[in-house]
Amino acid sequence: MRFSLAALALAGMFASPALAADQVAKAPPDGDYRKVSELVKLPDFLPGLGQLFVDPATLPAGPFLAYDHDGSLVSTIYMLPVADLTDKDKSFDDLAAPGGAVDHVDVYFNAGHPGVEMPHAHVVLWHVRAADEARVAQ
Amino acid sequence: MIATRRTVLRIGGVILAGLAGTASGSTGEAAEIAMRGNEDGSDVWYDPVGLHVRPGQTIRWTNHDAGNAHTATAYHPHNAGHPTRIPQDAAPWNSDYLLPGESFAVTLLVEGVYDYFCIPHELAGMVGRILRGGSVRRSQTAQRDHRERFVARCIS
Repeated sequence: MRFSLAALALAGMFASPALAADQVAKAPPDGDYRKVSELVKLPDFLPGLGQLFVDPATLPAGPFLAYDHDGSLVSTIYMLPVADLTDKDKSFDDLAAPGGAVDHVDVYFNAGHPGVEMPHAHVVLWHVRAADEARVAQ
Repeated sequence: MIATRRTVLRIGGVILAGLAGTASGSTGEAAEIAMRGNEDGSDVWYDPVGLHVRPGQTIRWTNHDAGNAHTATAYHPHNAGHPTRIPQDAAPWNSDYLLPGESFAVTLLVEGVYDYFCIPHELAGMVGRILRGGSVRRSQTAQRDHRERFVARCIS
């Protein structure tokens, strides 16, 4: 019985992300995600990132889901304020990761923008190959 | 560059707000300040960061950063309780967010030093300073007074 419950739990862990990936593979994603450019004053398509969607309840960390010009998911982005990262009493736990398989990860500093005004780090989980980042370059 | 209706209205508003102080007409070309950022958004800045303008000269900010929105906002309590860093009799301004290609302009009608900032990027150090000079006649008078004081010191 104990084994069965553990197996079910493991199966559930792996089944949920696959289902979620289907739900967010194309823009607009299901759920409570909203287009960032409709929440704050930012360009609809951000060079280097793409068209962003976020559940406002998850700000500032996200996840932000980024789509190319064809509406295909290219990356999942977390925006983590530098002040929080250097605060021993703060942490980011259990952030959602609905985008599915990750090809590679970029981490870099961002000075801020409407929606996440404080200096922060972008943690970008790319769901496409590095060569395909060009799909959101412009 | 996109000149929005909102921008035009704000230009007029600031000019009218300043007429109670020192009346002045627009003189010469506008002084341009670019709002810039690098590709990954890790750095943002005004270009130039400091600027001297003549009396009546218009200052125009334009967002040249394709991946971000910026503001030009005077240091003044009217703007989210910031400290006053513009002349006491001057009217504060706030461009609100400018998307890429949008612009905003003001004409400063009071002589002095004006500090301003970008709302989402103040913590990242995106600030600027404008030195609005005095009238030509006042400037010439000040130079003459300075020369006379210098000569008086040399003689005494």
